[in-house]
Amino acid sequence: MSRRDLLRGLGAGAGAAGLGALLSACGNAAGASPTITSLPLPRKNHPVRWPIFKDNQPIPSGLKPEVGATLKLYNWTAYINQAVINNFQKKYKCSVEWTSFNTITDAISKIKSGEADYDVFVPTPDNLGQLIEAKLIQPLNHSYIPNIAQCWPDFLNPFYDQGWQYTVPYTVYTTGITWRKDHVDGNPAQWKNGFQFPWQKKYAGKVAILDDYRESLSLGLMYNGNYDLNTTSASQLRLSKASLDDLDTLVGGVQIDNNDYTNVPSGQVWIHHAWSGDMAAAASYMPKGVPVEVVGYWFPANGVGPVANDNMVVLKTSKAPVLAHLFLNYFLDLPNVIENISFNGYIQPLIKCTPELLVQEKILPPSLMSTVVLPSYFRNGLFELELPPTADVQWEQDWLEFSGGI
Amino acid sequence: MSKTTPKARNTREQRWVWGLFSGPGIVTLIVLFVVPFYVVIAIAAGTLDIFESPVPAWNPLHWRAGNFTSIFGDLVGRGAFIGPEFVRTVVYVVIASLLSLVIAYPTAYFVTRWAGRRKVMFLLLLIAPFWVSYMMRMLAWIDLLQTNGYVNKVLGDLHLTSQPVNWLGGKASTVILGLVYGYIPYLILVLYAGLDRIDQRLLEAGRDLGLNRWRTFMRITLPLSRQTIMTGMLVTALPMMGDYFTNQLLSATPRTAMIGNLIDGQLSTPGLLPQGSALSLLLLVVLLPLMIYYVLQTYAASGRAA
Repeated sequence: MSRRDLLRGLGAGAGAAGLGALLSACGNAAGASPTITSLPLPRKNHPVRWPIFKDNQPIPSGLKPEVGATLKLYNWTAYINQAVINNFQKKYKCSVEWTSFNTITDAISKIKSGEADYDVFVPTPDNLGQLIEAKLIQPLNHSYIPNIAQCWPDFLNPFYDQGWQYTVPYTVYTTGITWRKDHVDGNPAQWKNGFQFPWQKKYAGKVAILDDYRESLSLGLMYNGNYDLNTTSASQLRLSKASLDDLDTLVGGVQIDNNDYTNVPSGQVWIHHAWSGDMAAAASYMPKGVPVEVVGYWFPANGVGPVANDNMVVLKTSKAPVLAHLFLNYFLDLPNVIENISFNGYIQPLIKCTPELLVQEKILPPSLMSTVVLPSYFRNGLFELELPPTADVQWEQDWLEFSGGI
Repeated sequence: MSKTTPKARNTREQRWVWGLFSGPGIVTLIVLFVVPFYVVIAIAAGTLDIFESPVPAWNPLHWRAGNFTSIFGDLVGRGAFIGPEFVRTVVYVVIASLLSLVIAYPTAYFVTRWAGRRKVMFLLLLIAPFWVSYMMRMLAWIDLLQTNGYVNKVLGDLHLTSQPVNWLGGKASTVILGLVYGYIPYLILVLYAGLDRIDQRLLEAGRDLGLNRWRTFMRITLPLSRQTIMTGMLVTALPMMGDYFTNQLLSATPRTAMIGNLIDGQLSTPGLLPQGSALSLLLLVVLLPLMIYYVLQTYAASGRAA
């Protein structure tokens, strides 16, 4: 059996999943279950309105917050400011228990297993389909979240969740290139294709890419001028992998890690494929005597590069759903958002949360203004979205063959 | 009608009571080895659902060979890519094991023969690394080896290097050093236990018959510790073969990836989990002869001792 046969056979297991028929894009009837055998794949030109199931309705309006309850938050490591959580606890006389995860796949597996009863979770749009279809998250009651009005209008009707039925935005970020100006000649903006910047032999041993199969294979695609970051073309993926192999050979071993925010400030790496929010926090990790101005971050000025956002959702298992809604609302209020960004680095998409305000509040050094995600980036940017399972396994396989599992 | 004598009944009861003592071991073996092992097989022989979650094939009649043949294809077929990781693993483990032996044997020998009353103190020092978690020890190496770390500072101060060495930039030597450092305490302890058991009278007899220290060592101590060396090497080499953490922390580049990294990569990717299970089973098959050899040697040694 060839690998292609194996991938083709993947669908054969779908029937055994026992999850029933899956729903179509733009579904509308509550509890409708047409015989569709794949999840809808939200795209900018193919927005999805997810169904509201009869047995998974939003909570009623006008309920009081649960008294003395413990709100359980399931979030990425070091991805929220404890000080803001403390203020929320005081305001609503509750306690917040925070559990962290390192990879989204681990988190989804744990939630699917039903072994934990969290209230609030922070997924990316590409995982929404399975969370909604398996009824792991509950639809939101908008009356508890008036602060949505503070967000960019894009999030009132995002293509991945039309009508924001299940999600509110948490952070927005871009994926670009960070570099040490004191060690590296030039900058990516001077290159015709700035995503080719890491391919420089003279910086051997000092180049790193992100440990994320979607992000790094996308880098390989963009190196070759392909901006379809949701491609299902096996040949394009092989080309991307070949480019990453070339990079590894060229720089005498490319490092694969997500420590862009520590390795670049420390000088361990000089050119790093990086997340904007990580680099916005670079000032906190600079060694003594090294100014943060030596760190640069580049993302295409026309906004045509990878952008993404994380969401906050309320899990179906929530024992304090009103508090959970209020928690979502609290993290969409400008003063709390500013305080949260001061620790987290990642921008939140509020209309008044501008680059100028962040610099004025001394949250962001002027030299790293490029890490701010502008609404135009969000509109022109390239989203890495949910793929058909066979294509996703192909991405995973190509990444494994390149990385060796490192 | 036969009659059971009190003596025979007593013997049967005793056997039954002693048999009970094996209960906890058997239960542990079933719960922590047999059941998980079956789960791994069921996942490796199963399929994926539409969310890329594995669907284990619990019924052996429904087992599929796809993931196993695919792994063989990855190893020797047209699209083979596992070969370099496999060869690298063997080379790294052999070098790290030999280096460990070169360091551990004299250390264990010294503690056994020459430490005298300070033997306990030395033993405590030898097992001290066990008190710190493996992860913490490896993280400490990152601090030491990074570009502006202490190792580069010392090398620079001694004018041994003109510019900082990029130890963490994908060097095989760093990974091997990490493996040696991580597993050497196990080897020292095994060697110490073996060397300490050698009958002193044999050494005295050798000396009485005119052998000098070196020849006593070569003719008596070394041959008698051969079994211990084999055991110690196996005890350290087997976990080294499956190690992935050391490599991930001290190198993080594809060019030093080992078979453990591949398995870890597959097991932490939902769509590749069945393949990871199949590769784990393949690794087990490769290591099985070594384990059988170890068991046979131990059995033979205990027979000789009896």
